[in-house]
Amino acid sequence: MDVENVTALHQAPVAGLQGRFWSIRATLLSQILGRIGSGIIVLWAAITLSFISLHVAPGDIVSLLIGEQIRTPAIEAAIRAEWGLDEPLIAQYLSYLWRVLHGDFGRSYILQTDVATLVLSQIWPTLKLTGAALVVAVVFAVVSAVATAGLRWPRRIAGGMELVLVSTPSFWLGIVLLFVFSFTLKLFPVAGDRSFSALVLPALSLGLSLGAVIGQVLREGLERALEEPFALTVRSWGANALTLRLRHGLRHAALPAVTLTGWLIGNLLSGAVITEQVFGRPGLGKITVDAVLGKDLPVVLAVAILSAFIYVVLSTLVDTLYLLLDPRLRART
Amino acid sequence: MKIPFRQYFLPLIAAAGTTFAAGFAQAADATPVTGGALVWGVETDPATLNPQLNGQDKTKLLLRNVFESLLARTADGGYVPWLANEYRISDDGKTYTFTLRDGVTFTDGEKLDAAAVVKNFTRLKDAAYSGSTSAGPVSKVANAKALDAHTVELTLSGVYAPFLDFAASLEILSPKAFDSAQLKSGGTEIAGTGPFILNRYVKGQDIHFVKNAAYNWAPKTAAHQGPAYLDEVTYRFLPESSVRTGALSSGQVDVIEGISGNDAGLFKDNPDFTYQNALNTGTPYSLFLNVTYGPTQDVKVRKALLAAVDVDAVLKSVYRGERTRAWGITSPIDAQFYDKTIEGAYGTDPNLANQLLDEAGWSARDGDGFRTKDGKRLSIEIVQAQATVRDQRNVLLEAVQAQARQNAGIDLSVSYVDAGTYTDRRKTGQFGSIANSNTPTDAIDIEYHYLPIDQGGSINYSRAAAPELLTWLKAAASTLDAKERFALYAKLQRFAIVDQAYALPLYEPEDQIAAASYVKGISFRQFKQLPESAYDIWRSE
Repeated sequence: MDVENVTALHQAPVAGLQGRFWSIRATLLSQILGRIGSGIIVLWAAITLSFISLHVAPGDIVSLLIGEQIRTPAIEAAIRAEWGLDEPLIAQYLSYLWRVLHGDFGRSYILQTDVATLVLSQIWPTLKLTGAALVVAVVFAVVSAVATAGLRWPRRIAGGMELVLVSTPSFWLGIVLLFVFSFTLKLFPVAGDRSFSALVLPALSLGLSLGAVIGQVLREGLERALEEPFALTVRSWGANALTLRLRHGLRHAALPAVTLTGWLIGNLLSGAVITEQVFGRPGLGKITVDAVLGKDLPVVLAVAILSAFIYVVLSTLVDTLYLLLDPRLRART
Repeated sequence: MKIPFRQYFLPLIAAAGTTFAAGFAQAADATPVTGGALVWGVETDPATLNPQLNGQDKTKLLLRNVFESLLARTADGGYVPWLANEYRISDDGKTYTFTLRDGVTFTDGEKLDAAAVVKNFTRLKDAAYSGSTSAGPVSKVANAKALDAHTVELTLSGVYAPFLDFAASLEILSPKAFDSAQLKSGGTEIAGTGPFILNRYVKGQDIHFVKNAAYNWAPKTAAHQGPAYLDEVTYRFLPESSVRTGALSSGQVDVIEGISGNDAGLFKDNPDFTYQNALNTGTPYSLFLNVTYGPTQDVKVRKALLAAVDVDAVLKSVYRGERTRAWGITSPIDAQFYDKTIEGAYGTDPNLANQLLDEAGWSARDGDGFRTKDGKRLSIEIVQAQATVRDQRNVLLEAVQAQARQNAGIDLSVSYVDAGTYTDRRKTGQFGSIANSNTPTDAIDIEYHYLPIDQGGSINYSRAAAPELLTWLKAAASTLDAKERFALYAKLQRFAIVDQAYALPLYEPEDQIAAASYVKGISFRQFKQLPESAYDIWRSE
């Protein structure tokens, strides 16, 4: 391990980027093919599972659509005919798959709009929000870990703060942030997806708790790395503490943190529901919750496909990051 | 039986005059200014922008900027011309003739003529377009035809008294709208005749309207004539009540609606803001007690629950006195059909409650102090859909729960369920109680709650099917004699609440509006009591 680290240190700046990318490309090619295959399976599984679970959940679609309004056989028949609900389930399922293959995601039962248009119009604000929250989380985690790892009192204070952030409901954090920075100090606008400044508070309220979790993992990893013999070697070259932490320690500490981040991005997407609600932002969150509650199948399935797709892309990215971060993995594959 | 407008009009002007004096007190201090933009924070994002398919009262204030109806209603329940100049009901009470106003155009350029109005009524009868609405009052229309370019004749299959209210208030869409792909979702292709034009809608964020410069047909109930004062108005969707309050107090929006009892004090008696509220029409928020399932099948248990709960004390503690107690089956502001003598005809009486429960056999007590019979606890389960909890009703139900337990040993539990489970429980009748309110006027609210479930009682949550109910409701709907209708609904009210205790009325829901003091001309719609469109609103700075 020590030897590998030393070689890596010699290679990294000098032997250059070219060699590294060659080896990555070879592994990437085989990986990408595998990814596409498994991605399709994941998408199909997402559609099928969502389809089944919505049909298993209580309440039939026709009753939900009628709600508290007048119910007559003629009305039920009209609704069934409109949405093709009079077909057997397996036929509905197969015809859905067929239509999706042709790019037709159907119309929302409740909102009566084209699902593809609806989801596409709402995905961008959600991506902006989760993207900004991710930046907040990573910056917070890195700063907090690098600045406090191995230092007795700073790490205690930072750790305590992180614990508070992790256990704060994002709903409450959002309201507090709004109260302080929007209603009282009037620094940021309350709502909507209209300007960059409107993104700041939602991103903080969604990203901070995630940053706190990653920060704790990153700090521990960093502390472990700093105790390893290579840290002494680097120091003996005359590198200062910050260089050691940023250039060498962080890379070792990053692996578990990256894994965790990839996994937590899923949480970001679902946490966005509450943040969107509090800040009056458009986005997929509220639409998805309403669709699940109202058994709005076309919307639920479209969101399932989209999130499965995002997961596939993200996990590919995370795996690629591993290769960039850790030369050992490259050598093995 | 021609009903000339004059007959309604004269007393009305006096009545309307007093309402205006109250509603526009602050507007009277200056001449209205034309121009400017307004931002309004609202609670509810519309499920659809087609007003004929949208059943959410909380979104009517936005949709009313674009869509108008044949007649407007005055504070005392009368009708005045709007898109129709005049109406006539035939002597047999089955034929309604509306004469349309000249020179009205939809904002997509179509003319408002008899054919356009007929198209609205006939399309609405089609279940494939309107779903459940097709089985409502419009189902009574046997034939709709245009007698000439300005005259519409609707013939009913039988006399149906609430029909005028329905026909007068149906939002009229441009005939072109029915060919649009946006028909069901609503959108910029669905034009109306109103003072504003829908310009942009971002789901989950806001909806934006611009002035219709050609507008010149406001009803007499409006405060002015001609185009709207504002150039544009934006409604921003802020579902959280505390966020709306903060947005208004920090000056980020000009007006908000839906203010919690706790926040009302911030705007009341504050010179920088105005605050107004108005009781809703229709059935009060009530606990309907299931007569076909569990302990509430016994009328003594139902009566005991009514006697056990001190509604006044509960409302005072939950809403700080900002909500109005309800007693009957319809809103106290509906002078047409609300019989006030119900107030105080029953009330809190823990002794009576305990006596009734002893008589009903629930005389033993278990370790927690709840009454039991044959070893079974006296439990009544309120089933509540999680998604529809609003206006601190979860806190209200907890307070009622505490009273029932303390005063009579009744275990009133509240189950918050998802929409699917709620639908299933409603359908199968497996619940002790469902809490509900609704806002239709002209006794349509009473029909929905007290007709048998399979005969139009779509939200008959007490599941009551006593033959008297059907007889009285049918008799009331098939006469146009207002006095006779009043007597029948009064009889039904006493029977349903005092004799049978089908429901425990709690409070009358209301709308609240708070605005920065420079916003003038905000009002509630007369009679229907919902916040009015932005037509009369102007900015003094």
